[in-house]
Amino acid sequence: MSERRPLVVILDYRMGNLRSVQKALQLVGADARIATAPEEAAGADGLVLPGVGAFGDAMANLRDLGFAAAVREAVAAGTPLLGICVGLQVLFRESDEMGQHEGLALLPGRVTRFRPPLVVPHVGWNQIHVRRQHPLVASLEGGEHAYFTHSYFAVPEDEGDIVATTDYGSHFASVVARDKVWGVQFHPEKSWRVGLRLLQDYVNWLRS
Amino acid sequence: MPFTVYPAIDMRRGRCVRLRQGRADAETIYFERPAEVALQWQGQGAHWLHIVNLDGALDSAETWSGPNVEALRAILAAVSVPVQFGGGVRTVASVGRLLDLGVARVILGTIAVSEPEVVARALERHGPEQVMVSLDARDGLVATHGWVTSSALPTEEVGERMRALGVRYAVHTDIGRDGMLTGANVAASVALAEQTGLQVIVSGGVATLDDIAASARHAHRGLAGVIVGQALYTDAFTLSEAVQLAAATEPEHSAEGCAGSRDGEGPLE
Repeated sequence: MSERRPLVVILDYRMGNLRSVQKALQLVGADARIATAPEEAAGADGLVLPGVGAFGDAMANLRDLGFAAAVREAVAAGTPLLGICVGLQVLFRESDEMGQHEGLALLPGRVTRFRPPLVVPHVGWNQIHVRRQHPLVASLEGGEHAYFTHSYFAVPEDEGDIVATTDYGSHFASVVARDKVWGVQFHPEKSWRVGLRLLQDYVNWLRS
Repeated sequence: MPFTVYPAIDMRRGRCVRLRQGRADAETIYFERPAEVALQWQGQGAHWLHIVNLDGALDSAETWSGPNVEALRAILAAVSVPVQFGGGVRTVASVGRLLDLGVARVILGTIAVSEPEVVARALERHGPEQVMVSLDARDGLVATHGWVTSSALPTEEVGERMRALGVRYAVHTDIGRDGMLTGANVAASVALAEQTGLQVIVSGGVATLDDIAASARHAHRGLAGVIVGQALYTDAFTLSEAVQLAAATEPEHSAEGCAGSRDGEGPLE
């Protein structure tokens, strides 16, 4: 009897970067599908919010396409959600990127820009320092490198939501989790084996 | 790792030299003791050093006890910044030996073309933060063996093969520009980075601070740094100026929440 493939739905809210995420999830055993409208996300074992670009655009698209409401409902109903890069940032309450923008407010805290003298974006491979045990980082020993490319970072209000940090100027939160709402600031689909192990842990957790 | 300026120390017979276009007959000796040069660069703000062995393959007890390895040991003993080293590294054993000496990252050139399985094994053992490649090209084709032999392989093709093996960083040298102070080939390096997903370090021809800025502006597109050789030795600018400029240069792309490429087929492996 083959292992069940969890249905992971990747939300296409026009912020790109979907195919590589889909490929990666399929590689680690998920039935990964792309939803271009909220109805297509029904019945998902887990949702993924990918994303490249600006917070404000991301939130505008999520609202316009009905995904913002759908995500809030799904989370309230207990569906797991994983945000990637700007997909992590929109989980928070607000961001000061190009004005003040409201996020999904699923995690308390805000998003802010790396300040001078730090060069933005923070681009390249950097280390993940695990701060607490969590299914998402179950396969990590700590110190592994992942691929980052971002100019803003989340500042969680609740320290308990910080699963891992990465050093760039300060120790910023690179993996966050609160109940079933999780996020990674780096791109697991671009982070070679480390990224795949993390996605594998996500899929394994969905299966259980 | 932020965008990095790498001062280069090329060594022949234990001395720090500069060549033009890699030609052995176009050598200028700048310093008798590479360790002194290394300390100078560290003092001027270098975050990394790029050391190259120009004396051929490190494949015998003789070469391992020769003046270039001795000079490398002296450099490693003198400085505290990390050192990346290449030139003549042909085996997995040599990679391990260099890492044991204290080299932070070993660069494989010829081997990437002639024996990619060595690259694969070295990566398995030491990982992509400690093993990298150098893709040195003349007219878009990778050259090997001290740039004497031209392969028929386009740089992008070798780059893709290396990426598929798990290589993360690659030096990209435009041989025609190396040592000539004609300006760096940033465009080709960016193209290589975007095509392959490699973090590319630009090399060859850096002449002015404009080359530093031009490279740093494309950090978000995959340029991890720039190697400077001749320009530093002819005082075109100081290393301090280059390091400060690189740190102050913001990539061209507007700084966004997530700055990655939208359509990118992110490299999985």
